Amino acid sequence: MEINGVTVSILLFGIALLGLILRRDLVVKLLALGLINSSTILCLVSLHARPDGAAPILQTPSGPEIVDPLPHAMVLSAIVINFAILALALVFVMLLVERYHTTDSQRIERETSEEERS
Amino acid sequence: MTRSASRIRLLPAAILLVGAFCAALWLTFDYAGPGEPDIARWIDTAHTTGSINVVSAIYLNARLFDTLLEVLVFSVAVLGVRFYLDERGRRESVESIPESHVLRLSSDLLLPLILLLGIYLTVYGHLSPGGGFSGGAAAGTGLLLAAIALGADSVAQRFHESILERVEWAILLCVFFLAGISAALGRTPLTDLLPPGTPGRLASGGSILLYNILIGAKVFIGTWVMIHHFIQHRGEI
Amino acid sequence: MILALFPLLRFALGVLSIAWGRGRRILLIASHVVDAVLISFLAAALHSGRVTTLILGGWERGLGIALVGDRIGLTFAALAWGLSVAISFYTLNRALRPYFYMLLHLLIGACYALIFTKDLFNAYVIFELLTLTSFLLVGYERRPGQIWASLRYLVLASLGMGIFLLGVAVTYYHTGSLDLDVIAVRVAAAPDAGWIPLAAALLVSGVAVKAGVFSFSLWLPSAHSLAMPAVSALLSGLVIKMGVVELFRLSDVFPLDFTLVVLGSMTAAFGIVYAVASQNAKRMLAFSTVAQIGYLLIGFGSGTVAARLGALDYAVAHGLFKALLFLAVGEAALVTGTTDLSELTARRDAIPLSTRAALLVGTLGIVGMPPFAGFAAKCVIECGIQRSAVHAIVALISVGTTVAFARFLPLFRRRGPWIDVWNRLAAYAWLGGAVLLFLPLSRTMVPRSIWSESLNGLAFVEALGAILLGLLIHRLLRGFRIRLPRRIFRIEEGVLVILGGFFLVLLLLRFA
Repeated sequence: MEINGVTVSILLFGIALLGLILRRDLVVKLLALGLINSSTILCLVSLHARPDGAAPILQTPSGPEIVDPLPHAMVLSAIVINFAILALALVFVMLLVERYHTTDSQRIERETSEEERS
Repeated sequence: MTRSASRIRLLPAAILLVGAFCAALWLTFDYAGPGEPDIARWIDTAHTTGSINVVSAIYLNARLFDTLLEVLVFSVAVLGVRFYLDERGRRESVESIPESHVLRLSSDLLLPLILLLGIYLTVYGHLSPGGGFSGGAAAGTGLLLAAIALGADSVAQRFHESILERVEWAILLCVFFLAGISAALGRTPLTDLLPPGTPGRLASGGSILLYNILIGAKVFIGTWVMIHHFIQHRGEI
Repeated sequence: MILALFPLLRFALGVLSIAWGRGRRILLIASHVVDAVLISFLAAALHSGRVTTLILGGWERGLGIALVGDRIGLTFAALAWGLSVAISFYTLNRALRPYFYMLLHLLIGACYALIFTKDLFNAYVIFELLTLTSFLLVGYERRPGQIWASLRYLVLASLGMGIFLLGVAVTYYHTGSLDLDVIAVRVAAAPDAGWIPLAAALLVSGVAVKAGVFSFSLWLPSAHSLAMPAVSALLSGLVIKMGVVELFRLSDVFPLDFTLVVLGSMTAAFGIVYAVASQNAKRMLAFSTVAQIGYLLIGFGSGTVAARLGALDYAVAHGLFKALLFLAVGEAALVTGTTDLSELTARRDAIPLSTRAALLVGTLGIVGMPPFAGFAAKCVIECGIQRSAVHAIVALISVGTTVAFARFLPLFRRRGPWIDVWNRLAAYAWLGGAVLLFLPLSRTMVPRSIWSESLNGLAFVEALGAILLGLLIHRLLRGFRIRLPRRIFRIEEGVLVILGGFFLVLLLLRFA
């Protein structure tokens, strides 16, 4: 079992999941969500990385062989999507905090379900 | 249910499931890949499109549809920020941080460099790593620096909100036009109609340069709009 | 060519709706006309036996993104079109901002794009677009309950898509392609490879979060019940089906039949139990959606041609009557000021007659009263199911649905005011007409042989029997209040249950 980018990304994924579940602060949950997506991106990139590979730019004096460029294209999209999700989630967290004056997710949950029932 | 009690119930279940998940991924991950991946087809793709940045050739030509959708995701995000942080809660003026010589001086030096870097990344996106997304994000962050140093209101005065909005929609429509024009001419949709040119020069890569510029402008404006709305809603920077 | 025009034109019209805000209603009507034309072209192509394939950009397979226009595509495109027409009617008189119309266009356009795509990463990006647009639509009215529900939805959907992306990473690493057909070939060449269960479990778990499957979709009841009626109708009728479509596409690649049947059964059981126990009309509808999705998965997982066609048929039928129900209940809740079932019954005099009629038609559809929508599709599914255990589960679902919806019965007595706005009437008429006329409409979709085999006397007896049994059980259970745990609908439990569900799918795939 080697320590490489993939194992690190799985570890980060696990840490982020624990953060998402165990921490009550909404902002920390958002950070955990961002970390989940980032670790997936890390997994995608490091799966196809090679120690002797070159960046996928074609050079005229041909140097070492380039790595697979398709995961890089995927990662570009994934990063932008991650950014968009975090921005919108942050907006909603801001709205909730303004309304309930707390970042505690359990308190918000309780107050929302009380409102729903009444 | 008291807070600590519910958390205690959660903790062992969380550790068990998350640990099992990671273990499942770790242990069942089969590193024996299918052998050497077929990179030659991507090099041929890059040659066909005329750009020497292979990744640009992929996401701005072969898989352009993904990029279109991604630009739409970004636009929806900006739209959402604008809609929810609008009207109520908007402060009239933004308190800026106290005047600092060091900040002012360094931003005077750095801001043109950052903007220039953003433009370089965008325009040379088909010749070196970069592209519209990274260039636009860099330039947008540069505007954030300007907002910190010069005050958000003065930066906002130069970039009127209504004009920015119209430019954004114009850019989106241009992107759709570029993408859809091949369908209108009867060929397969999303084909590149411009000639590839000589690889390595600025005017090469077909429409990749145009897409990079449009996307760069869109991301630049979008990033600034998002940052500005957050600043205005908070009331201070 | 048509395949690419579906999403692209919708996206362009969406952007135009906000650029030219004043013309947003005209653009909406224009989009319906355009879509109708495109659908008829596609139907004509399919009728002559051609399955259209298109690779965007003119590249070859494996380099570009492949779109395919087959029966699944046509079915769901027609559903998407029909529902968007209904929603347009329903919201025509409200002063909704251009922002709403743009989101609506983008949502429908993304649905079109997902229906036709045969590319794994394209599906990922489209799902994210769907998540964002539906999340924004749920929170449109900015009520705190809505905002919290949609934030939960975003977090869980995002997690699901992260898992999906991991699955895409593993699949690409081992097959070297993102195109589903190429992947299917490589999987079939080495079906016992070690990576297949892991990759399939990751992909299925990710999609299941969006599809409304049992343990993955605990965000669904709150999100669907708290949104605006038009948005709930769209979400329950259309967006949920998009996850199901992707599961159908994935089942062409990986051997998912057994997994789908088991997951479907669990989903249906969960949905029915919670639907019967729920006291809130909209929440009950949302749980009923979950149960019907389970039904769809059982049908598709049964593997036979008849069951699969029946599942497609039923997906359309469910979209129609669930949307009708949500629109009608939304109107009723608006007029009476409450969504609680007993309160609705108490204040039923205020509910307009047309809304009650719409409720009646929708209820008849969902309980499977012959000869309406639900019955027609259920026959075809049941004709294709072979194992008797699965038959029993399906029968239980029918009975349970009747028990849950029998609570609408008191609402149909006593006349009410006829006051209703013309556009609501139009929406009800559009959907209700489709539900009532479903039998002849769906004859075009199902071949004659299966049709005549499924529509026999036994099917009638079964359907009516299930309804009667359900009414009886409802009578017996009246007054019983079952309290089921509500803690499972929080974010933390939602994440844990998704992980648990992943292991369940992994186990099921190993046993397949």
